[in-house]
Amino acid sequence: MVVMLNGYVETLMMTLSQYFFVVLTAPLYSGILAKLKAMIESRRGPSIFQPYRDIWKFLRKETLIPRGSGFIFRYGPYVIFGIYSLIALIVPILVPVPIFFTASADFLGGAILFSLAAFIKIASSLESGSNFMSLGAVRTASFIFLSEGTLITVFFAVSLITKTNNPYVTNNFLSANPFQSLTLEHIFATLAFFMLFFYETGKLPLESPGLAELGMIEEGMNYEYSGRLLAINKWSGHMKQYILGSILLNVFLFPWFLQSSFPYFLLDIPIMFLKWMLLIVIVAVIETTLAKMRLFRILDYLATAFTFSILFLAFGVLLG
Amino acid sequence: MHIFPYLIIAAPIIACAFYKWEIRAAGIAAGVADVILSVMIYFQSPFHGVFYVDFTSWIFLVMVSSIYLASTIYSLNYMKDIQVRGISEKTYYALLNLFSASMFFTLLMNNYGFMWVGIEATTICSALLIIGEKSDVSLEAAWRYIILVSAGVAFAFISIILIYYQFHTLNVYDIIHTNPAGGLLERIIVAIALIGFGTKTGVFPVHTWLPDAHSEAPAPVSAMFSGVLLPVALYVLYRIYQIDPFPLLYTWFAVISIAVSSLFLAYQRNYKRMFAYSTMENMNMALLGFAMGGVGVIGALLLLITHSFAKSGAFFSSGNIMKSTGKKNIDEIGGLWKGMPWTSTSLVFSSMAASGAPPFGVFIGEFFILSALAGQNIIQFSIVIFFVMTAFIGVNYNISSMVFRGSSENSEPGWLMTGTAIACAAISLLIGIFLLGGYVNALV
Amino acid sequence: MNAIENIVFLSAALATVSGFYIQAQEYIRSMVRGQFIQSILIAATIFVLAYAESSIDLVVLGLLVLVLRGYLITELLERRIPGKGSDLREKEIGIASHLLLDLVFIMIGTFIIYSLVFSGINFSIAGNISGGTILVFPLALFFQGLFLIGSRNTTFSQITGYIEEENSLVLFAIFLIPVPLIIEASVFLDVLALVVISSIVVLEKFTHNPLEELRG
Repeated sequence: MVVMLNGYVETLMMTLSQYFFVVLTAPLYSGILAKLKAMIESRRGPSIFQPYRDIWKFLRKETLIPRGSGFIFRYGPYVIFGIYSLIALIVPILVPVPIFFTASADFLGGAILFSLAAFIKIASSLESGSNFMSLGAVRTASFIFLSEGTLITVFFAVSLITKTNNPYVTNNFLSANPFQSLTLEHIFATLAFFMLFFYETGKLPLESPGLAELGMIEEGMNYEYSGRLLAINKWSGHMKQYILGSILLNVFLFPWFLQSSFPYFLLDIPIMFLKWMLLIVIVAVIETTLAKMRLFRILDYLATAFTFSILFLAFGVLLG
Repeated sequence: MHIFPYLIIAAPIIACAFYKWEIRAAGIAAGVADVILSVMIYFQSPFHGVFYVDFTSWIFLVMVSSIYLASTIYSLNYMKDIQVRGISEKTYYALLNLFSASMFFTLLMNNYGFMWVGIEATTICSALLIIGEKSDVSLEAAWRYIILVSAGVAFAFISIILIYYQFHTLNVYDIIHTNPAGGLLERIIVAIALIGFGTKTGVFPVHTWLPDAHSEAPAPVSAMFSGVLLPVALYVLYRIYQIDPFPLLYTWFAVISIAVSSLFLAYQRNYKRMFAYSTMENMNMALLGFAMGGVGVIGALLLLITHSFAKSGAFFSSGNIMKSTGKKNIDEIGGLWKGMPWTSTSLVFSSMAASGAPPFGVFIGEFFILSALAGQNIIQFSIVIFFVMTAFIGVNYNISSMVFRGSSENSEPGWLMTGTAIACAAISLLIGIFLLGGYVNALV
Repeated sequence: MNAIENIVFLSAALATVSGFYIQAQEYIRSMVRGQFIQSILIAATIFVLAYAESSIDLVVLGLLVLVLRGYLITELLERRIPGKGSDLREKEIGIASHLLLDLVFIMIGTFIIYSLVFSGINFSIAGNISGGTILVFPLALFFQGLFLIGSRNTTFSQITGYIEEENSLVLFAIFLIPVPLIIEASVFLDVLALVVISSIVVLEKFTHNPLEELRG
C-alpha cells in the first residue's frame, strides 16, 4: 500500500513539474531566441524576459470585445489554452515516462488536438468580423490542409519505426537504439517535421514577427484581441512552440539523456533547457540568414514538407 | 563467318561517306545493293552467331531494303523543290541512309540489348526526317515522336534488364531455343515489352505519336515509317514474345487497338492521318497473328510484307496529290481520275490492298490470322471481323470520293514519283496473285 | 544493415528526392542543374557499389555516367538555353500542386508495379544489398521522369524528364544485375545522341501545346 502510494506521489510530482515547467518556461525560449537574433544582428535587443513582461502588461489592460462577436470569441482563447495544456501532458516533453493524462491520447490524438486548437482559433477569429482577422483566418485555413497533414504523417512515420503510436515508447526506443534512428523514414520525417516547426511557430522564411499585414498569418488572428484574452493567446502561442520544439527534440532529433527515475527526473529540467539552447541556435542561424518568402510560396514549402513525410512513409510500408 | 549481314548494315553507312559529293546516287546504289544482299541471304539462312537470321527475319530484311530503295528513288523528285526545309537535302539523304542502317542492325543482331539500342537509334535517325518540310505543326509532330517514343522504349529497357537477370545472357537464339519454363518473371518481361516496344508499334494506349508523325512527315518518310519502321519494332516485340508466349494479354491488346484505330480512322479528314490509322490497324492485326502462333505467324508475315508495299504506294500517291494540289483534307479533293489517272490508279489499288481487299496479300494474311483466331476465341473473332470491315469501308469510301467525286484540274507530278507509286501498288498485287496461284498450298 | 548498404539506400533515396527538386523548379537552368545533381548522386552510388564489390566494370560505368550524363549532357543543355539563359523560366506553374500530383502519381505507379511484379518474385540482389526492396527507388524515379514529361510543356523539361527515366534505368540495372558494359555504353551513347537531336528541335520550338491539326 505504501509502495503504491509512493508511486502515486512520484507520478503526481512528475505530472505537476512537467505541467508547470511547460506553462511557466515556455515564454522564456521566445525571449532567448529574440535576444540571440539581436546579438547576431549586433543589436542590444530586448531582455530575455520580455515575453513575460508583455504578458503581464496585457493582463493588466482593459479587454475590449468587438460588437457582434459571440461567446466563441470570448471563450476561445481559454479553450485553446486548455487544449495545449492537455497536449503538454500527453507527449514526452520533459519526463520520458508516462504520467497522469498520458493515456488520454496517443500520437495521433495529439496531432488531432493540434488541429482542434487551430480550428477553434479560426472560428473565434471569424466571429469578430474584422477584415484583418478574417485575412489571417483565411490564410491559416488555406495552409492548414498541408501542415496538419504533414503533422499526422510525420507521427505515422515514427510510429512505423517502433510499431506503436505511444510517443513514450518511441522516445525510449530511439534513445536505446541510436542507430535505428538512421532509417530513411526517420531521417526524412525529421526533415519534414523540422520544416513544419518553422511554419507552425511563424519563423522567418515563412512569417516575419509583428503586425505587418502583407505577411501575417498567425498574428493576424490576434488582431482584435486585447487585454487578458490577448495575453492568453500569446501564452498559448509560446506553449505551442515549446511543445512542438520538444517533440522535435525528444522524438526526432535528439532523444537522449532524459532521466526517468524518481528524484533524478528533476535533472530533466536543465537537460531540456540545454537541448532547447541547441535548437534555438539552429533556429536563430536559419532565421538570420534567410529572407522571407512570398506568401503564396508557403504552400510550395509546405507541399515539400508533406512530400518528404508521406513519400518515405509509403516507402517504409513498401520496404517492409 | 557470314559476310552478308555486315555488308547489309555497312552499305547505307558507306553511302553517307559520299555526303559532299553525290549522296543521292550513293543512296540508290546502297539501296539496290541491300535489296540484292537481303534476297541473297536467304540461301545462307538460318544461321546464328553474332547475327541471327531465319525465315522470319529474312522477310523483314527484304521489306526494309525494298522500301528503303523505293523511298530513296521517290525522294529524288519529291524533296527537290521544297520551299521551307528543316534540314538540308543532303542531310536528309544521309539520315535516310542511317535510318535504314539502324533498322538492319535491329533486325540482324542476335542480342536483345543491341536490339533495344537499334530501336532507339531508329528514333534518333528518323526524328529529324519528319521536319524535312518545316512548319510549326511538323516540329510539334517531330517532338511528340521523339519524346513519346523514347519514353516508351525506355520502359522496355526494364524488360531487357529482367531478361538478363533471368537468363544471364541476352543471346536471342539461345534464349528462344532453351524453351524456358513460363514463370511469373517471363510473363512480366513479355508484358513490359508490350507496353514499351508497343509504343513504337502502335498499340492502343501508347500510340498517340503515330498519326501526328505520319501525317506531318514528307511522303517518302511516312512510307518508311508505316511500311518498315513499325514492323521492325513489331519484330523485336515478337522476339521477346517468343521467350514465353502469353496470348491472352497480347490478343486483347491487339483486338482493342484494332477497334480503336478503326473508329478513329472513320472520322479523319486528313488522308495521310487516315492512312496512319490504317497502318495502326494492320500492325495490330499482325501482332494478333504473331500472338496466335502457328498459321497466324505465316499470316502476319504475309500481311506485313504486302502491307509495306501497299502502304508505301498509298503514301507515295498521297505525296503526289500533295505535290500537285497542295491540299491535305479529303473534302477539298475530288475528281483526281481526270487529271491524274496514274496516281489515281496507284491510290485506289494500294488503299484496297492496305485495307484487305480480296486478291491482295493483306487479305490472305488476314484470312490466316482470323481463321486461327476463330478456333480460339469467338468473341475476339467477331470484334475483329466487325472492325476490319469498318476500316475497309472507311478507307475505301474516302479514297473513292477523292478519286471519282466531282472534277478538278490537276496534273501528274512527274513520271518518277508516279512510277514508284504504281510499282509499289503493283508489287503488293503481284504478291497476292502469286500466293493465290498455288504457293499457299505449299505453305500450309 | 551494414554501412555500405546504408550509404547505398541513402544515395538512392536522395536520387529520388532530386527528382522532386527538378519537378519543383521553374527556371530552366535550375532544372538542368538538378539533372546534374542527380547524375552525380547516381555516379556516387555506382562508385560505392564498385568499391564494395571491387568491380572494375562498375568503376568504368560510374565514370561513364559522370562524364556523359554529369558533364556532357549538362553542358549541352545549358548552352542551348535560349536568350540570357539564367532568367528563362516556365510561367504559371503551381509548384505545390505539381509536387502533390507527382507524389500521387509515383505512389500509385510504384505501388501497382511493385505489388504486381516485385512482391511476387523474390529477387536476389547482387553484392551487399539484401532484398529487392531497394528497387522501389529506381521505379519511383522512373515514374517521376514520366510525370515530368507529362506535366510540363517546354522542350527542356521534357528532355530532363527523359534523362531522369534513363537515370532510373541505370540505377535499376546496377541494383538488379549489371548489364554487360558494352550494352550499357551503347545505351549512353544513344541517349546522348537523342539529346543532341532534341536540342536541334529546341532551337526551333520552345514550348509544346495541343494543336488543332494534330487532334484525334
